[in-house]
Amino acid sequence: MARRAHLKAGFRRALLAELRQIGARPGLMFMLAPFPLLLFALLAAVFQMGLPRELPIAIVDQDRSTLSRQMVRIVDATPEVAVAYEASSLGGGRQLLLSGQVYAVVLIPSRTERDVLAGRRPEVVLFYNNQYMTPGSLVARSVGGALGTVVAGISIEARVARGADVESATLAVAPVPVRQSALFNPSLEYVQFLLAAVMPTVLQIFIAASAALSFSRDRQGVAGLGRSLRLGGTLIKTVAGKLAPYTLAYLLVLWGADALLFGPLGARFGGNLAFHVAYGFVFVLASQMLGVVAALVARDTVSALASVGVIAGPAFGFTGITFPRLSMNGFSTVWADLLPVTHYLQLRTDNILRGAAFDISLPAFVSLLALAGIYGGAMFFLLWRHGRSRSVPVPEALR
Amino acid sequence: MITVFFREIVAAILAIWADKGARSTMLGATVFFSVFFPQPYLSEVVRDMPVAIIDQDGSTLSRELIRRIDAADTVAVARYAPDMPSARALFLKREVYGIVVVPPKFERDLLAGRAAPIAAFSDGGYFLLNSVMSSALSNAARSLGTEVEVGRLTASGVDMASAMAIVEPLRVTTVALFNPTGGYASFVLPAVFVLILQQTLLMGIGNLKAGRRPTGAVSTLADAIVYVGLYSLWAGVVLVLLPWVYRLPRIGDVAVMYAVVVPFLAAVTAMGLAIARLIPTKEGVIFFLVVLGMPLFFLSGVSWPAEAMPKLLHAIAFVIPSTTAVPALVRVNQMGADLKSVETTIFIQLGLCFAYSMLALIVDQAKRRPAA
Repeated sequence: MARRAHLKAGFRRALLAELRQIGARPGLMFMLAPFPLLLFALLAAVFQMGLPRELPIAIVDQDRSTLSRQMVRIVDATPEVAVAYEASSLGGGRQLLLSGQVYAVVLIPSRTERDVLAGRRPEVVLFYNNQYMTPGSLVARSVGGALGTVVAGISIEARVARGADVESATLAVAPVPVRQSALFNPSLEYVQFLLAAVMPTVLQIFIAASAALSFSRDRQGVAGLGRSLRLGGTLIKTVAGKLAPYTLAYLLVLWGADALLFGPLGARFGGNLAFHVAYGFVFVLASQMLGVVAALVARDTVSALASVGVIAGPAFGFTGITFPRLSMNGFSTVWADLLPVTHYLQLRTDNILRGAAFDISLPAFVSLLALAGIYGGAMFFLLWRHGRSRSVPVPEALR
Repeated sequence: MITVFFREIVAAILAIWADKGARSTMLGATVFFSVFFPQPYLSEVVRDMPVAIIDQDGSTLSRELIRRIDAADTVAVARYAPDMPSARALFLKREVYGIVVVPPKFERDLLAGRAAPIAAFSDGGYFLLNSVMSSALSNAARSLGTEVEVGRLTASGVDMASAMAIVEPLRVTTVALFNPTGGYASFVLPAVFVLILQQTLLMGIGNLKAGRRPTGAVSTLADAIVYVGLYSLWAGVVLVLLPWVYRLPRIGDVAVMYAVVVPFLAAVTAMGLAIARLIPTKEGVIFFLVVLGMPLFFLSGVSWPAEAMPKLLHAIAFVIPSTTAVPALVRVNQMGADLKSVETTIFIQLGLCFAYSMLALIVDQAKRRPAA
């Protein structure tokens, strides 16, 4: 104890004081690494399948012909869907949709086969649940594709019957085929797509909240921020000492999550590792400073945490990962630019997925640095003001 | 007895008003989040996503194809690129979000009855942009292809009806139910709103009860009734009024909605009381709830199908009221489901309410014993 008291004010003293604080609170230790990693495991489990398979649909087959049975078979054979129910009427199919048991209903009306043979172009209808957009549209695409195969088969037969050879009949079915490929995420895996984006967004909340908690706790304490400022000596040393344990812990969590993502979960890393480390570091710092600013502005710890929740909680919608940024309104665009995670995710996509050259990533990297600068500047200004207003009475009270 | 109970009710209401944290979460935050959350999604659909075209043919038919692609609401031909490297550069700079390549001899092959494939490159990192591009392109290609094929057949002496029957012997019509325009706000917000109710209610209870000595049974019951009552009003605002303001589709029966909402709120209240007993500090409760919001959204199965999650995980997630209540309320409000389609959820919520009440009581007893 005596030795510690003699330690000179500075980075080490601020750091040791903060470590003691963390050590005294098991809840805080849990939030530093185990809890975010637990959430990552949970999210990884949610998306573990990559793409959904065997999504249930219902069929209303009023025709019961060779053709209709062939359609059911081909639809069922697609990996994304499974014909789970045979409804006797459209009403029955609707009930299955409403209770959430199926995502789509295919109606094959009676006389379908007869009408096809007579050239009357009957209509098969696919109703799909577009309220559940992800599974709904996936099912619609797969079932539509499967039914398209059946239609193409009939069309080829019709042409062959009219004297065409099989090869030219096959070509004539799809005269303008579209060969679509997704650049940079060819398999369209959700692990790459969602998990890699959700994890940093959740982590941003943790990073900002823990920084807010650390400063708010001091500020609300008996001695106020003055004590921490004295331990550190200078503003920079105080802040560095207080935040360093969290910076390190969350960087390790970020890298740990990446290690799992690119290791066991099999995502591909196609970028520059050093750059990835660099913007990850700036991301953590910017988020921390945002949290500190919240703590210095809010009136108490609970409102500091609540304001972090307000800022960082809805962040995911603003990052443009699910709904693209190019379709957002002005407010959302500005707000998104103020969130560190927006730039971090763009840098991540550009670097890891697209393997873009450094000059293309430069604007986003500069934006992230600028955010760190702005939040850092605000933080130091607020701390300086606190220090100045308290530095006069506190030393006198202690002497 | 009734006057005592009435006094407790008034006390519970005053307690919410007196506590700054509870006031801002239970009275302010719900409205704030309901206005703030929807902002990114308000334009509902992607319009005029810029794509680059590499037209290596430069023929009448290739221009017709490009015109049809441009005619789709969702995409716009923004740039013409001479070759793939320059198109790729535009793509990396995010000036375009897709690339379409029309090969040389496109027109000649198409008219000669050979396949004239076009190539398209879209962005695999962004699902919505990817599917927007895909549907705009396949529609343009299909309509042009059908037209050319029908033209070829009629030119060879087949009558129009037979030509159509050969090219498209069976029509497959795809009907989008419940969210006909495929609006993103219509898809996400109804689920998010339910989650906002749960999270702000939990935070409010955390503010009021965490770290405080538990009060008597009558007053706890009065508190619970006040919370459920207050949030039943909020449910009306958030689940009926706001969808109307934002013009989201809402076709459900309000009575059926409340048949789910009230048990749901009761379950959330009981859970809130239990959490407040388990986590001793307000800060801890708020932190816990703030970070949990997003994972809970994904667990509800609205954005990512529950069928694609591990069964065990989904079974564990049942203990959180929103997991089952979110999809049930979406089905009632947005899809018009009747009482029978959601009765399982109602029983689950009542079960959860009972279980969490018991948990709160047990924690209470356990904490009291060592003190006594």
